[in-house]
Amino acid sequence: MESNFNNGSAQQKTGMANVRFGVYNQPSNIAGKSVQEAREQFSKLWGIPTDAVAYKGKDKLDENYVIQPGDNVEFHRRAGEKG
Amino acid sequence: MTSNPKRFVLVGAGGIGTWLAAGLVRLLEWKYPGSALIIVDGDNYEAKNKERQDFSKIGNKAVVKAHELTPQFPNTMIIPIPKWVVSDDYSGVADDESPKITATQLLNENDVVFAVVDNFAARKIIFDAASKLNNIDVFTGGNDDHLFGSIYHYQKRDGVEVTEHPVHFHPEYESPPDKNPGELSCQERSEIEGGTQLLATNMAVASFILGRVHKTIVNDQNPEETEIYFDLGLGKSEPYNRTVISTNQYTTV
Repeated sequence: MESNFNNGSAQQKTGMANVRFGVYNQPSNIAGKSVQEAREQFSKLWGIPTDAVAYKGKDKLDENYVIQPGDNVEFHRRAGEKG
Repeated sequence: MTSNPKRFVLVGAGGIGTWLAAGLVRLLEWKYPGSALIIVDGDNYEAKNKERQDFSKIGNKAVVKAHELTPQFPNTMIIPIPKWVVSDDYSGVADDESPKITATQLLNENDVVFAVVDNFAARKIIFDAASKLNNIDVFTGGNDDHLFGSIYHYQKRDGVEVTEHPVHFHPEYESPPDKNPGELSCQERSEIEGGTQLLATNMAVASFILGRVHKTIVNDQNPEETEIYFDLGLGKSEPYNRTVISTNQYTTV
């Protein structure tokens, strides 16, 4: 689980990052915010479940992880199950 | 264009699998004559499946589908395996009413596998068995009860993973929330609800997989659109790159 909550310099960086959930993909001025804040911003719009794990690549992100400029933050969308 | 014969293994001949079979057999017949399409399913087609599944008569799904396709496609060997796919450590009963085959027994080097079963547990068994081979492609796909679906392509070449095992991005493959019907009793299987899926979404999953096969197998191009989510209601699709290595081996067209 990746976390940079105590890294002061990391928290001060602002700028664009990418937020993704299933079919949704939104470049957003969200760097400097935590994963939890990003979830709150996009959950109603996209229907992100409260327990959806956030990833950066293969790394799971802590809710307190501070999003960095250029990050690609992906909230887990369960794969299609039936067929 | 023709090339070396291939072995396509289709696991699951249901709402997605029957439509996928129609595309795969045509691909093999004309692009790879002399190939084999192996259809694996332990389940039986019933009248209640008619709304979404393409069968002409009642019976085991693998056997019926193979019998339907064989006379139409003489340059492709279509082999039914009327069995449930189970893990290597499965210790339950495998009798005439519930025949089994382990994923390790089923899969060979250089196979192109299509895991379109309706549960994560069976797909995980197939992905895990494939991950022990050196050269393999596994395509999977599924949908919800509405207009959402997704597909995933796992690929290994020369013992190296080109795309990641989906377990790295999907907890549902780490701890499947469902059970493999092949490892349930007949009674337990009969109690599983089929849900209210839509034909359009089943066919869209099959089409997305066929599109990936065309790009990554027929054209041998980079599988960088490893995972694709789509929503027919929103009219949107979104690709995700799950590649592991720099795939310079692939050409750009």
